[in-house]
Amino acid sequence: MSGALEALLRHPALWRGGGFTDAPATVPTGFRRLDERLPSGGWPLSALIEILVPTAGIGEIRLLIPALRALSTARPDEPRWIAWLGPPHLPYAPALADAGLDPSRTLVIKPRAGLDLLWAMEQALRSGACAAVLGWVGAAGDQALRRLSLAAGEGQSIGFLFRPPFHRSEASPAALRLLLTARDNGLDVEILKSRGGAPARIDSLPIH
Amino acid sequence: MSEGRPATATPAPAELRRVPGPIASGVAPAADAAARELWLAAHFPRLSLEALLPVTGDARALCVIEVNAPRRCLVACNDRAARQGIVVGMGLNTALALVPGLDLRERQPAAEAALLDRLARWALQFTPVVSIEPPQALLAEVRGSLDLCGSAVALCRRAQAGLLAGGLQAGVALAPTPRGALWLARAGIWIAAVRADAMPGLAARLPLSCLEWPADVIETLTGLGIRNVADLVRLPRDGFARRFGPALQDELDEGLGRRRQPRRRHVVPERFDERLELPVEAGSTACLAPATEQLLARLGAFLRARASGLSELRIDLLYREHPPTRVRLGLTRPNGHEGHLRELLRERLAQSRLPAAVVALRFRSGVLLPLSLRGAGLFEQGRAADPEATARLLERLRARLGEDAVFGVCPVPEHRPERAWRIAEPGGATPLPGHWPALRPARPLWMLAEPQPLAGWDGVLVTGPERIESGWWDGHDVRRDYYVALTQGGVRLWIFCERPPGQGWFLHGVFG
Repeated sequence: MSGALEALLRHPALWRGGGFTDAPATVPTGFRRLDERLPSGGWPLSALIEILVPTAGIGEIRLLIPALRALSTARPDEPRWIAWLGPPHLPYAPALADAGLDPSRTLVIKPRAGLDLLWAMEQALRSGACAAVLGWVGAAGDQALRRLSLAAGEGQSIGFLFRPPFHRSEASPAALRLLLTARDNGLDVEILKSRGGAPARIDSLPIH
Repeated sequence: MSEGRPATATPAPAELRRVPGPIASGVAPAADAAARELWLAAHFPRLSLEALLPVTGDARALCVIEVNAPRRCLVACNDRAARQGIVVGMGLNTALALVPGLDLRERQPAAEAALLDRLARWALQFTPVVSIEPPQALLAEVRGSLDLCGSAVALCRRAQAGLLAGGLQAGVALAPTPRGALWLARAGIWIAAVRADAMPGLAARLPLSCLEWPADVIETLTGLGIRNVADLVRLPRDGFARRFGPALQDELDEGLGRRRQPRRRHVVPERFDERLELPVEAGSTACLAPATEQLLARLGAFLRARASGLSELRIDLLYREHPPTRVRLGLTRPNGHEGHLRELLRERLAQSRLPAAVVALRFRSGVLLPLSLRGAGLFEQGRAADPEATARLLERLRARLGEDAVFGVCPVPEHRPERAWRIAEPGGATPLPGHWPALRPARPLWMLAEPQPLAGWDGVLVTGPERIESGWWDGHDVRRDYYVALTQGGVRLWIFCERPPGQGWFLHGVFG
């Protein structure tokens, strides 16, 4: 009897109200001092986040690892992808596994041309298949960024965009803009823009 | 029409006349079973002529001859030949004597079978139960479609008109038994007999020729003074079966509805294969758009009708002289969405270069696969990962960027850092062993493709050394001391010096 009921409830034409939950709009960064300064206490979901980094490798990925781990384990039955788009070097699978990210849900995309990078990032964000897309796309105009931002909203995906700090003075449609500076064993994080929040500065955030 | 309804003969237009009631018969008709079925038979007397392409029209007297028969005889002729006195079944020499300039064509059984197959697909518009009766007829069970067409007569007319529009001469008849309908169609009695017990009443009008029994049987029967099926029915059953075999007796019973006749249902091959000649030759891939659009629309309709998707689509661009360009779209999951296929195709065609002007396009599907339906939430909150979305994304990216540009990574249990991982299909990484993470110092998130010599760098060593010595057995011997170093700029590096020392420092990874 219950089997027949289950079969009936799986019918595609049937909508069940029980599935309605208030999904959280953010994912905690894993750093308490950073969470306190961000509106709703974490990285905004379904948004574009711009991270300005002077040199690749100062700890920008380690800053994201706790959030990426949370995103990739959010739905164990149907995990979504973490996409690495045009990274400066290849992500190292043993280190990903050490950090608690499932290598089998890692997608590396290495296009040849710059225009393809923007296109691929938009596709990855919009598809809904990726929980987060980490993109190193180089030059991108205001319109391109706006497209990425819309795509992130549509695909309910976080787009992390890594760019050099000279873009700081340009306007950006990103929901959150951070400027990272290396400091001893950690990072200085400057929140340049935060939708629904205020600019702020966190000094010497220790990252592991 | 149910059995409760008063059984009336079909109202008769032109050639449809009142059907007399059943004649008395010793065997109780299996009326209740037969009444649930109504068979439409279409007989194509000129199929062997019509199957020969191109259709030559009536300009010359044309005949089709059977070559494999012991006596070469005519199996079909066109109207002009018939007017000049040619009769089907006539010997070749007689025909040539009558019409010296007769155009003779050899019969092509393969073409006839293909035409019948096409007709069977056409008949699927009336009913899913279509059956081919080789060599020249088609049967379809149309009880369920009567209401759709209004009446049995309207259905017959519609079928006939459709066949005529396709350039086919056909006799169409309806009867409660498949063999009965076939007899009527062959005999040229184009009526719609809808009553379950109509067949015995029609037997007197059915000549022996419509049975298509062996010639010697027909000859014997004619010698006995039997002219039609009604005469046959009056013969003693056991005597008939003894003399002509039980098979013919069974045929007779099937035709008259005394015995059920199971039919093999015609199954349409589940492949899409269509070719489109371009109205104007296309010199660039952009000009192909209208044609691909047309074929995609047909493909989409084909897939929707079967609730199926495909996992592979082959596209051939055909040229006048060059060998065709072949494009293959592989899909990771069965997909039936036209829009998605269109997008993939556009990316792939944009990459291919045309050696000459394209004259035709051909689409061929791989095996069709059933699509699984998924329920969507009414409140689109916290969307579940859609397995189709992943497949679509991968296909789209690969169509534009190339197969190699999109990949996954997989850790490999190995001490040498450069061999501790490999490129894998996305999602194809082997599961981690249970004892992960291994008891060893941290590894960098970024790995350089090749270790790079470090020249004149300023920084401090933070931790180390971690000695890695391995691989002496396979020729890729590694003897290194690894350190974690921090540069002035705050970048954490993974560097090593070869052992024995003296070959300088190398950068191997960045901690990111």
